[in-house]
Amino acid sequence: MNPSWWSRVVFSAWVRPILLIGLLLVLWELAILVFRIPPYLVPTPIAVVRQLVEEWPKLLRESMFTTYATLGGFGLAIAFGIPMALLIAYSRTVESFVYPLLVFSQSVPKVAIAPLFVVWFGFGIIPKIIAAFLLAFFPIVVATVVGFKSVERDMLDLARSMKATRMQVFRRISLPQALPSIFGGLKVSVTLAVVGAVVGEFVGSNSGIGYVLQIANGNFDLPLMFAALTVLSFIGVLLFAGVDLVERMMIPWHVSQRSEFHATA
Amino acid sequence: MFKRVAILALALSALGAIPAFGEGKEKVVLLLNWYTYSEHAPFYLGKERGYFEQEGIDLDIQEGRGSGLTVQAVAAGTATFGYADVPTMIKAASKGAPVMAVGVALQTSPMSVMGFADKNVRKPEDIKGKIVAVTPGDSMSQIWPLFLKKTNLQEADFKQVAGDAQTKLNAVINGQADLLLGYVMDQAIKLQDATHKPVYPIRFADYGVNLVSSGIIVQKDLLKSNPDLVKRFMRAATRSLEEAAKNPDAAIDAMLKAQPKSGVKDTALVGLKNTIALYHGPDNPNDRPFRVGAKNMAETMQLLVEYGGLDKSSAGKAEDYYTNAYLP
Repeated sequence: MNPSWWSRVVFSAWVRPILLIGLLLVLWELAILVFRIPPYLVPTPIAVVRQLVEEWPKLLRESMFTTYATLGGFGLAIAFGIPMALLIAYSRTVESFVYPLLVFSQSVPKVAIAPLFVVWFGFGIIPKIIAAFLLAFFPIVVATVVGFKSVERDMLDLARSMKATRMQVFRRISLPQALPSIFGGLKVSVTLAVVGAVVGEFVGSNSGIGYVLQIANGNFDLPLMFAALTVLSFIGVLLFAGVDLVERMMIPWHVSQRSEFHATA
Repeated sequence: MFKRVAILALALSALGAIPAFGEGKEKVVLLLNWYTYSEHAPFYLGKERGYFEQEGIDLDIQEGRGSGLTVQAVAAGTATFGYADVPTMIKAASKGAPVMAVGVALQTSPMSVMGFADKNVRKPEDIKGKIVAVTPGDSMSQIWPLFLKKTNLQEADFKQVAGDAQTKLNAVINGQADLLLGYVMDQAIKLQDATHKPVYPIRFADYGVNLVSSGIIVQKDLLKSNPDLVKRFMRAATRSLEEAAKNPDAAIDAMLKAQPKSGVKDTALVGLKNTIALYHGPDNPNDRPFRVGAKNMAETMQLLVEYGGLDKSSAGKAEDYYTNAYLP
């Protein structure tokens, strides 16, 4: 019996959240039993898991549509968000004009205007991509602006005193120092993009997890609804993990990554 | 521990009940199925005229966000009475929600497929080649296949787009769809209000697809704990519908006074008149409002089992879901 092997498995980064999920599921089932919560208000975890298994082919197919819309929106958000953030970070004029407007627009509830996207762009995938884009855009801009603005002044002065070109300064100092913050924004943004895609599907769609949710809702099929929500969360987790992976490859030197290796070593 | 919580809850509910009885007027919430529109005008008329007050009821009319949520709120005791789609309630009840209909207001189905009159869709064959907007999962989208079957239409004869309630309207208004599935007194009026163009609805009921629609629902426990309240409420509600049928003008005025944003006088009046036309089913043309015929309910159940996603094994009989016993 080797206690360190045992504890290493139980407390490894992968097992821990699964343990917590298991515990929450047990608590959920217990809460339903103890407080006698009727199934038309909250389904039991077992019923949800059963639906998840039974409807898996359909859920998988529909989740593809949602994933496409999410990735499309997320990609657009990166393509527009990062250049815009650069402009804001490097130009006070742009910042003073654009930033307040950006914050203003962010406060508009997307759910309220989502029906208009269908009017403007029809019933295809485009309104979903736009809804995902709008939710994903803001965190990327804010995080990127913060990242570039918090580059150490001394480092910049040092580089300039050594006659580094602007491009060199950007590539060797500013960008590496801003990346951790940018990735923080990307991680928030990718999970929001999933929400945006579903909002888009809710208002007008023949496919996707949002469509499944709508049908389940109409039939009081709470287990199916929760199963669809579970699939949705998985999409979020997988995309988050994807961004995390890219982050590890691009900034393996950063504190947040180093400490992770240290803990599991 | 749980015993103590239970006792506390009991004590609290008793505290809540005593002053209500003491004043002789019970505060009662009627949760509607949707934001206020012409169909709800009779309740505002009844409140304004004091019908509910005379029955010792202090009525608070709350707007809803869909029949499904209204049914769940009534089942959970959040609202005392609900005005909701009875087929939707039946589906929830078959899944265990302890609710029952104590009166059915609309006994002929308001479901229809409609478009602007200038699209010239007057009969089912005209739907061929058109684009129809539906809301997936809602009651109309589930009964729609039956309408198609009865009228010898195939899904391939037309194109279908899906969206939520607002998208459906937007799609027709903006020409992305030619037709939508809606209620004669609801969407038809909203389309007219938005565009000032006449709308032509093809009613499902005219092609042999009839099922009951909105009604008053309560928690089953209330029938045991306070049957008197249910009787008084239904007495006042019946008077309200009767008076609105006689005097639709006054009903719309009362509604617009209480909820100024709920419509435009002229079209709301048309909507209410279309609603009043649905107060009786085919098998009981002379009954007072809310009293539904057994045959009508049985047919509704049958349609729900065949097309409406109601599970046959847990469906039971129509009598499990409605009663006329609390009507005047």
